[in-house]
Amino acid sequence: MQPTATIVSEEQELILSTLAPGPAQRRLAFAVVLGMLIVFGLITAGPLASLRTRPITAFVPAYATAMFVCDSITAILLFAQFSILRSRATLVIASGYVFSALILIPWILTFPGVFAPTGLIGGLQSTSWLYFFQHAGFPLFVVGYALSREAGFTTRIWQGSMRAAVALSVAWTTALVSAVAFLCTAGEALLPRVVLNSVHLSPLWPYAGAPVAAMSVVALIVLWRRHRSTLDLWLMVVMCLYTCEIPLSYYPMPFRFSIGWYSVRAFGFLSSTLVLIVLLFEIKTLYAKLLGAMLAQRREREARLMTGDAVAATIAHEVNQPLTSMVASADAGFRFLDRSVPNLERAKEAFQRIAEDGHRAGEVVGSIRAIFKTDARTRTPLDVNEIIREALALERTDLRKHRILVEAEWSAHLPEVRGDRVQVQQVLLNLITNAIHAMAAEDEPRVLCLKSEAHQGDGVIVSVADTGAGISARDLDRIFTPLFTTKSDGMGMGLSICRAIIEAHYGRLSVAPNTPRGAIFQFTLHA
Amino acid sequence: MTDHPRRSLIAVVDDDRRVLESLEILLESADCDVRLFSSPTALLESGCLREIDGLISDVGMPVMDGFDLVRVVHEARPGLPVFLVTGRPDLLNRPRRDGPGHYRLFKKPFNGQDLLTAVADALRGPGPPRS
Repeated sequence: MQPTATIVSEEQELILSTLAPGPAQRRLAFAVVLGMLIVFGLITAGPLASLRTRPITAFVPAYATAMFVCDSITAILLFAQFSILRSRATLVIASGYVFSALILIPWILTFPGVFAPTGLIGGLQSTSWLYFFQHAGFPLFVVGYALSREAGFTTRIWQGSMRAAVALSVAWTTALVSAVAFLCTAGEALLPRVVLNSVHLSPLWPYAGAPVAAMSVVALIVLWRRHRSTLDLWLMVVMCLYTCEIPLSYYPMPFRFSIGWYSVRAFGFLSSTLVLIVLLFEIKTLYAKLLGAMLAQRREREARLMTGDAVAATIAHEVNQPLTSMVASADAGFRFLDRSVPNLERAKEAFQRIAEDGHRAGEVVGSIRAIFKTDARTRTPLDVNEIIREALALERTDLRKHRILVEAEWSAHLPEVRGDRVQVQQVLLNLITNAIHAMAAEDEPRVLCLKSEAHQGDGVIVSVADTGAGISARDLDRIFTPLFTTKSDGMGMGLSICRAIIEAHYGRLSVAPNTPRGAIFQFTLHA
Repeated sequence: MTDHPRRSLIAVVDDDRRVLESLEILLESADCDVRLFSSPTALLESGCLREIDGLISDVGMPVMDGFDLVRVVHEARPGLPVFLVTGRPDLLNRPRRDGPGHYRLFKKPFNGQDLLTAVADALRGPGPPRS
């Protein structure tokens, strides 16, 4: 197992920005674009063109609120992803969604007839210009996203604090929106007349709209040329929706609250929710995988701790059976001999049985020994530091639960040692578990110190030091003997099995007092 | 027990052949007749449940364990003396759906004389001991 490699590949596998879209995703994206084109065709050229719709003023604030919430949530999720990946591209696209959300505030305030007949702020032209700026601005963020990703998606540029990066981006985006809002409201008189009154658009509208739509086309092309991920795919769909919105706002009916206008709002809402839906789906998948991984890790840990009580109980049972048989046969033998006329034949039979059971018990003991005997097949070169890292990872939950500080001092240049990887890890897990138990009832600070050092040239010495109650001088001699335990629920097999494993590796397992308190367990491994 | 008019018939159930045979010889040393079964099912299917005077069974067995067996046996033969032997007394504390039933428990390895005394006492019945 190569845990480090696994983590990296899974991280790549789970994050939307890196995951390549599957055929199903591509088909779905294509279907969305196709559906949008059909609606577009039906309205501009087809039978829906003549459909009359009523102005519903209440629709506008409801629409703006929904858009604001969706865009904000998308931005938050993308910022969260940035804090994991530290990729500048994610930061840029998250800012794009902040921009998209914030610009809705001046837009709704200027909309004629919502808060005031001519809008609460700005003039007649403000609403449309804010719309243009939003539709030109967001594609620019998309282009920025695509280009900064091209610069090397995995280069983690930002070295400072994540919070500062997010705060700075939000601040810059807010400043940008404020500037745009100021231009569109206070500077409304300077802007070209794109609307005639609170409802009708002017013939000038398409001249301003065309370059805005062109921005989306540019963003679409940039994404198309270098698209790789699921996020890219759905941003492309969003850019398609953006591109269609502009002509649909003007053709076939250049006024607000037309069927085209309502469709544009629907397109806008769709483009706002698409990435959000995909992100939520990703989170759901991620959550399921995370849960699965955690359960798998717990199972793995339990399986590795088999050296402890589970094995001990099995051994106890295996030895207990012949013992039971021996004691029963011995009692039977005495009874046959004690009769007024001793039944020697049956007594002999009973004693024969005892001898056989004795051999059987011997076989059980021999097979237990064989479990810990390592042969050439299972002895591989060991990366001791890697084993320590893995063991700490497996015990992480317990270490955190008992607020134990972990200090690891590993020597980078260790001689190569050989051994049974699983068994050595079992020893380490047992020692760490013991250390945790020893410290759990003690006052803080609780420090677990793991150390690896070179030993006598060709060996490695690993030490596990705790700041627990320590081991009394009286117990020091007995601690490795089977059945010795200080735990109320333990069987006292852990350390004796650990010693059996280390001795099978021609090493030594020893214990010494730690200063100022606690114990240090050390074991050696050789080439 | 030698003064008993009829030799008692004891059924022994254990999935370990050697334990089974050692119990056989122990019970025979006390002049009991013994029937051996390697599983609770084997005993229930043998049809000799009606004839036995007592039952000694292991607890930990696959499919049906000693407690299950006690329950089934007592449905057919209420009051039949039952002795359970277990090598894993640590597992006895787990919660069980059914009640404890009437049995005496011996921990493996058990003292053979104690088991025989308990069996003899039970076979004599709840009334005053026969002279």
